[in-house]
This record gives sequence, C-alpha cells and structure tokens, in this order.
Amino acid sequence: MKKLLFITATILLLSSFKTENTIGIPSGEKLVFAGSYNMSGLMTQLAQVTLSTDRVSTAKNSYLHLNCELETFAKWDKFFKIRDLYESYVDPITLKPSLYKRSIDEGGWTKKEKYIFKGNSVTSTSKTKNSPETITTFTIGGATQDVVSIMYKLRTMDLSKMKIGQSQAFIIVFDEKQVPVTVKLLGNETVSAGNLGAKNCYKLSIGAKTEVLKGKDKNLIYLTADAKKIPVLMKFSIPVGTGQLALTSATGI
Amino acid sequence: MRRTFLILAVIFTILSVVFSVLPFDTFALAPIGLSLVFIFIAFRKSSAKQRKITKILFVIAYICAIFVLGKTFLIEDKVAIDNQFEQQKKDAKQEAKKELEDLENDLK
Repeated sequence: MKKLLFITATILLLSSFKTENTIGIPSGEKLVFAGSYNMSGLMTQLAQVTLSTDRVSTAKNSYLHLNCELETFAKWDKFFKIRDLYESYVDPITLKPSLYKRSIDEGGWTKKEKYIFKGNSVTSTSKTKNSPETITTFTIGGATQDVVSIMYKLRTMDLSKMKIGQSQAFIIVFDEKQVPVTVKLLGNETVSAGNLGAKNCYKLSIGAKTEVLKGKDKNLIYLTADAKKIPVLMKFSIPVGTGQLALTSATGI
Repeated sequence: MRRTFLILAVIFTILSVVFSVLPFDTFALAPIGLSLVFIFIAFRKSSAKQRKITKILFVIAYICAIFVLGKTFLIEDKVAIDNQFEQQKKDAKQEAKKELEDLENDLK
C-alpha cells in the first residue's frame, strides 16, 4: 500500500512539473503559408511555404522529420522559379538535431548542404553550383539548433511565464557558422490565422548577430497563445527588403 | 507643359498594361497610379477639343486597375504540380534514412 501511494504521489508530482502551456510537436502537422514581398510599398504574393512534420524510423531510433519547403507560385515560375527544401531530423522529445539538409534551387542557382550532428561536433558537406564540394568539421554547443528545428523549439517555450520585454537566447548553426539568436516577447496581439480564424497570439521579436536580418524588432513571429503555439504570421526585414509569411491552412494540429 | 505630361501619361499607361499582364499583382498598381496622376494633369491642361487622348488613356488605365485588383482578390495563387520536386523530396528522405543509420553505426 505504501509503495502504491509513493508511486502515485511521484507520478502526480512529476505531472505537476509538466508546463500547462506547452505540448510536444505532433507528427503529421502541416502548416501552409503565403509568402509576400514588399515591392514599392505593396505586398505581392510570391511563394508558398509549407512546414510539415512526420516520423522517420531506422532500425534503432525514431526521428521527427521537420520539413520546410518554399515554392514560387505558378505565375512566377516562368520568371524566377524557386524550389527550396530545408529538412531537420530531430529527437521527437528534445528536438535535438541529428541531421540537417538544405537543397535550394533559385532561378537555376543551386546549393546543397548537409550537417551531421555527432555530439558537440558537426560535419558539414556543402556543394554550390559550379563549385567543388567542401567538407568541414566544427564544434558546437550542446544546445545548438539548426534553422528548421529552432522554429519548432520556439514552440516548446513556456511563454506564459515570460514577461513583456524578456528575452531568451539560442544558438543556431547556419552557413557553417554558429549564430546567436534572441527571442523577445513583445506582447499579445490578435492576428488572422487562415482557416483557424482570428487568434490571440504571442508577438515575438527575433534578433540575431547576422547580416541576414535587419532592424530592431522588425523580424517578428506570432504564435497562437495556447498550448500548440502555431506560428500564424512572420514578418521579416532583410537587406533586400521586407515581407511576410501568413498562415493560410493548418492541418494535423 | 501639356505635351510633357501627355507623354508621361502615355509612357506610364503603356507600363501599366505591361505590368498588368505580367504576374506582378499589386506591384502593377504603382505605374497605374502614376499614369492616372499624369493623365489627370494632362486632362486639366488640355482644352475641351484636346481631351480625347487623355480620355482614352484614362479608360485603359482604369481597365488595368480593375484587371489587377480582380486578379489579386479573385484568383487564388497556387503552386504548380512539380513532379520533379516531389521526387526530389522522396529521394532526400530515403537518403536521409541511410545517413541516419550510418550515423547510428558510427556512434556505436
């Protein structure tokens, strides 16, 4: 009887540490975004971005496959066709990456990149069109994520406990370099979320020590203010201009 | 002065037609807006007998605006079915599975 009580109490105690505002990333989720770019003050829709998840199993392990695809809309393909594929194979619980792959084709210019994560070491293989393949190995921190897994890692943060103006730091690896990234909670805002309707969202500012992102609090991500934290809107400011990704469809959530 | 604005109105109206046909969506509203401005100025500087051209240009710019707004709000943007990309995704996933298995063997 005592053992049973002890086990029950332990289970209840451990359950109480599970944050009420966070759930794991489900397999089979598919989020579709319309990507727009600001051309002379007017937002013009250029491409579709799809974030999806599924399971990949080997003989020994099961991984969560995080998939990010970018495709220009059909009307733009004749002028400048983009087919980008970013993938990350991660631990389903911790979202720690084991393999990251990037394959981009933008107007005929191609680049393939692969990072194999072995403990605190990354072996990177990179091949750009008309250039030879390069292989490098570099050391990373234990909590370093790639650009795909970081988007999902953000969704596991318990934002309900963060104060407005509070930041959290991350390190990502991109283009064979470690880049510090900070995520700051700016507040809440109601945002139109495609087939989900209007949703109350956390408004987060993404800062990074990189030339890719410009401006202060100009790179924003809006996550639904619930346990799932679905990204519904992303606004970006890059050297060539500004744009946004707006959620049009969310399934498997 | 009238001639200058008339020439500008013609140029931007031609650009409006070109941009409306191309898939620039709301970006085409920029030359359309400018053409309407120059058409209006040229119209004001024209006598009653000289206004025929500006009226024609106005109709063309107006049709372009309606066409662009119609395309933007009524036609849904879609990605083309790209079998090559679909196959690439399948191949990448199969390749990744092998790479993960190799990684697991290395970490033994």
